[in-house]
Order: sequence, then C-alpha cells, then structure tokens
Amino acid sequence: MIKLKNIKKVYRTKTIETTALNDIDLHVPKGEFLSIMGPSGCGKSTLLNIIGLLDAPSDGNILVAGKSIKNYASKETSRFRNEKLGFIFQSFHLIPDLSVLDNVELPLLYRSISSKERRTLAEEALASVGLANRKSHFPSQLSGGQKQRVAIARAIVGNPEIILADEPTGNLDSVMGDEIMGILTKLNKEEGTTIVMVTHDERMAKKTDRLIRLYDGSQVA
Amino acid sequence: MISNYIKLAWRILGRKKFFTFISLFGISFTLGILMVILSFLQSELGTDKPLTYKNDFVYLNTLSLKTDFFDTIVSIDTTFLNDEMVLDSSFEIKGTGSMNWNSELNNGIAEEYLSDLESAEEVSIFIPSSEHDVYVNGVKQTFSALYGDPSYWNIIDHQMLEGRVFDQKEMDAVAKVLVVSDKSAENYFGTKEGVLGKEMFIDGTNYKVIGMYAHTGKIMPYVSPDIVIPYTNANLDNQDSFYHGFFNVLYKKKKGVSADKLKEEIVYAATRIPMDHPSKPEGYEDIVFRPNTYDEDYAQAIYYEREASKSYSIMKWIIISLIAFFVILPTLNLINLNVSRIMDRSSEIGVRKAFGAHRGNIISQFIIENIVQTILGGLIGFGLALALINMINKGGYLMNARLELSPKFFMYSFLVTILFGILSGLLPAYKMSKLQIVNALKENKL
Ligand SMILES: Nc1ncnc2c1ncn2[C@@H]1O[C@H](COP(=O)(O)OP(=O)(O)OP(=O)(O)O)[C@@H](O)[C@H]1O
Ligand SMILES: [Mg+2]
Repeated sequence: MIKLKNIKKVYRTKTIETTALNDIDLHVPKGEFLSIMGPSGCGKSTLLNIIGLLDAPSDGNILVAGKSIKNYASKETSRFRNEKLGFIFQSFHLIPDLSVLDNVELPLLYRSISSKERRTLAEEALASVGLANRKSHFPSQLSGGQKQRVAIARAIVGNPEIILADEPTGNLDSVMGDEIMGILTKLNKEEGTTIVMVTHDERMAKKTDRLIRLYDGSQVA
Repeated sequence: MISNYIKLAWRILGRKKFFTFISLFGISFTLGILMVILSFLQSELGTDKPLTYKNDFVYLNTLSLKTDFFDTIVSIDTTFLNDEMVLDSSFEIKGTGSMNWNSELNNGIAEEYLSDLESAEEVSIFIPSSEHDVYVNGVKQTFSALYGDPSYWNIIDHQMLEGRVFDQKEMDAVAKVLVVSDKSAENYFGTKEGVLGKEMFIDGTNYKVIGMYAHTGKIMPYVSPDIVIPYTNANLDNQDSFYHGFFNVLYKKKKGVSADKLKEEIVYAATRIPMDHPSKPEGYEDIVFRPNTYDEDYAQAIYYEREASKSYSIMKWIIISLIAFFVILPTLNLINLNVSRIMDRSSEIGVRKAFGAHRGNIISQFIIENIVQTILGGLIGFGLALALINMINKGGYLMNARLELSPKFFMYSFLVTILFGILSGLLPAYKMSKLQIVNALKENKL
C-alpha cells in the first residue's frame, strides 16, 4: 500500500541545515495498523506528512497505492489525497465557522456528488463515531474527545484506503484516548483501512499490528 | 458547493463584526459613489430616450469669422562698450496671428449652405434656449424655449405623451403652436391633464399646445427644453448679420458613415458661403466651422477649449481619475484588509488542501466569500446612491441634470459590484492558494 525508498528530508535555512529524515525505507502493506514512536523532534510528523503527500521529500521515492508522486501541487495529487487518504491531527483542526456536520462533509465538497448524498454520508460517518446528536453544534461547543471523534468522522467520510493520524490521542485524557483507539482499531479490523499512527503512548502502540521507532531521523526499530 | 461557501461567508461576516463593519463601510461608500457617477454618465451620455441617436450626432454651434495677420517685431539688442559697438544681435520676428469672431449662426446660412450634406440623414436648425419669464397666478417662472423645426423631433427622440409635433406647413405658416414638456405643463397649468388645445402666453404671444412630451433633465438645454416652438415665430430680424445669428445646427449622420466624414463636409461647406455680403464685418476673410460630436460638445460645454476634442480628452481624464480615486484606493485597502483576514484562516486552508482541495477550489471559495461581502456592501451602497441621487435631483445641484435610474444603470451597478468583488478578492485568494499545506497546518489556530 505504501512504499518509501531512501526518503530523505532536509530543512535548510540560511544558517542551519536540519536533517529531519535520513534514508527511511518503509513498507506498509494493505490493511496494516502501523504505529510510529520516537522522542520529540525525531521526525515522526515529517514522515507522516510525506506519507500523506502533504510535503515533498528532499530525496527518495514514494509509492502510495501503486502510484509514484512527483508534483505535489497538481490537481491529480489533490484528487488522490481526496479519494485515498484521511487525516487526523493532534490538535483536531476543525474549522470553527462550520457546524459539526459541515466539518465532516468537507472532504466530500471536493467530489462531484450531490449535496443530499453528502449530507447522508456525513450523517452516517458521524453516527459511526457516536455523535449523531451533535451535528448542529459548533466545534467550540464540544469536548476534546468529541472534537477528535468529529475529526475521525471527517477522515473516514470519504471512505479512504489509508488513514494517517498524528498523535490523535495526544491532547486527550486516557479514557478518551482509549475511546479514540477503539474507533480506529475497529475501522482497521472491520473495514480493512490501512492506518499509520504517530504516538507517544506505548500503551496505544501496543494495540497496533507493528511499531517502528525513529531516532534523530533514522529508523532504529 | 457554492451554497456551502455562501453559508460560510455569511458566518464569517457575522463572527468578525468589526472587520465586517470596516470593510462594509468602505465597500458601500465606494460603490455608492461609483453608482452616482454611473447614473450621471448614463443619464447625460448614455443612449436612453431622448438621446437614443446620440452617437450619431454632429453638432455645430459656432460660425467663426477669421482673419489672418502678419506682425513684424524688431528687437534691438546691441551691446556697446566704451562707445564702440561690440555685439549686434538685433533681429526681426515675423509673426502670424489670427483673430476670430465667434458667434452662433444665422438661420439663412444654415438653411442655404448646411442643410443638404451627403452624410447627414437629418438636419435640424434651432435656437437652443431662449429664456422667457412667464407669470402664472402672479408668480414669475422662467421657461426655456427651443425654437426648432420638424426635424428636431427626428433627432432628439422625446417620448411623446400626448398630441403631436408641428410640421413643415405649420412652420411655413408661422403657426402659433407649441409642444410642451409634462413638467412645464404642470408648472404652467397646475396639471398635466387635458392641456392639449389650451393656450400658453409666451413672450407676448398666445401659443396653442398641440403636444406634450416627457421631461428629462439634461445639462444640454437643447436636449430637454421646456417648450418647443416653430422657429419661424422667433424674431429673426434681430440677428447680427448675414452670417451671425441665433442658431445651432444638429445633424444625425447616416448609418455607416463616420462622424469625421460628416464633419469634413460641414467644414467644407464653409468655403461655399459668399464672403462679399455687405453685413460682413470689415477685415474678415474666412469662415471656419468646428463641428463636434455630442460627447465632444458636452465636454466643451463643461470645460472650454477651442478644440473640443481636447475638452473631451480632459473630461475623460477627469472621469477616469475620479473613478480611480474612488475605486482603486478603496480596492487596495480592501485587498489589504482581506489578506490579513484570510491569513487568519491559514490552517483552514491547510485542512481543506489536505482533504483534497486544489488551488482552484481555494481561490473560488475566497472569491465567492468576497463577492457575498461585496454584494452586501453593494446593497448598502445602492441605498446610499439612491439617497444621493434623490438629493441631487431635488436640490438641482448639477444644473438641470436629472440623474435617472434606468435599467442600464441597475445593470452597470450590479456588474461593477461583482467586478469589484472579484478584483478585491482575487489577489488575497491567489496568495492564500499558494500556501504550503504543512506550513498552513502549523499555524495552530484551529
Ligand atoms: N519547517 C521546518 N523548518 C526547519 N526545521 C523543521 C521544520 N519542520 C520540522 N523541522 C525540524 O525537523 C525535525 C523533525 O520535526 P518533526 O515535527 O517531524 O518532529 P516530531 O517527531 O513530530 O516531534 P514531536 O514529537 O514533537 O511532534 C525537528 O528537528 C524540527 O525542528
Ligand atoms: Mg509531531
């Protein structure tokens, strides 16, 4: 499903050069639930962003769902993100001016489907994270755990093949964290969705199929 | 999709009340002023009735008697030193000059030499405006009369409300008839109803009303006179000379020929006028005509230059700078405001892009948002414009001009509003659409 070969990411500023990723080779088969751990600043988010086609590597090849990606600004890549990928962020990134339902609907706006169908799909996704009764709320009216469940609903509404989650439980207490993990695990088991998750929490990582560790931009386990 | 954007735009306007207030204030003020300018241009220089054929007009209001003279100026500039001449730079200038005696035309000249031109479809000869004091119930009113001919009605396309206009037979018979504007009818009779057949006492004569047309207030007096009387009724013997008199000539050119062609014919017609009439003032050898298009004549009436085309380009620049001042500055300001307003939302843009929005989606979203805002401002501006127009019309601040609210004015105002929305939204939207996803998401504001 995802193949990375010799991926390198270097941030250059006028004065310093930071190697965020150094020769990463990674293969994530279809249906795997992979977790990535490592100390702060070791390059986890950078790696996830590269897998999610949000950022271009400085060097190396990337193959996602059988496609190699070259132009990150192209319409085609946008479309690919829209159809194949779903993102969950540590800080939720819900749009404050949109209702819960509108937030969930967002990825479907960039597909050519009717607004009625969009509504239905968004309501289904919300129901699957147990928030059907909050659809008219606004993000500011929700708890952290609820916000992240909305974010998950948004990530899954387009029925993506891969979900990329950057510390999805990082801002939540352990009860809420478990709840979120439960939803993701179920998604992986029942729908066969491939999931790549960055976490700081050993307990969460243990629940996944495989764990890799980064240290200073290189894979160490 | 569009309805989603509109909904979002609406909410964002509501959330950022201060921003919204500031930008709506700017937009509505700008658009309001712009609409007043538009209404003025459309009323005065548009082609609504009675100026339907305005773009075919060529207008001649002056006959110049001209004389050329030579001047010799001797300049003595000799330098002496100790009574010896050291430098002699005396020289002579042979200068030429010309003198013009400008006045309106004698109707005889107009009838004889200017009425039958190849490129003219219609020619009207008239005295554009003579003001007459009229006493109605002991109150003095001033009526601006046009002494015209039947062709006048074929060129100035007045909307007839009742009755008819006079014909050549009535002209020749010096019939005491007139056609009145509805406004003047009301001023004179106290009502617009049933005025046909009644008499108006103008300049010592009783005239019978045979028709009534809709009043339109225009700065050019001959376009919206109060009353129109056959010019044979005017006291033509009082004209200055065989050459000079009271009259102007208005042409409607034939379809397909250029105004320049007709102008050339008019200029050429001057050469056919005999220069040996005893009433010719001493010393003048030539006649010069300077015919103008409607726009040129209009510009010249507002800002006189001998060459009307110069007046016209000056007027054009004044209008362009007015528009620039009232539009470009506020647009730049709005763009600036928009950029900072959108920058606030960079993480939203990051999210949208992560979920599949491409640059076009982002651009159209922000432009639609901006158009929503502009339309709102446009509506307020429109209210403002209506109030201003009403005030201007009531107070008569632009001479006789009445600013009209024609369908074209509504259409142009709407177009200008949308254009303003697109222009002021394009740059910010374009800038935002270029944002890198990762950087946009780092702005952890959501
Ligand atoms: N835009 C950037 N410019 C320069 N350096 C950057 C940039 N983004 C990340 N880095 C550097 O790259 C390295 C990896 O960053 P990254 O965000 O991937 O770490 P992380 O493993 O996700 O850390 P954390 O656990 O704190 O989220 C860090 O040293 C960081 O300072
Ligand atoms: Mg990180």
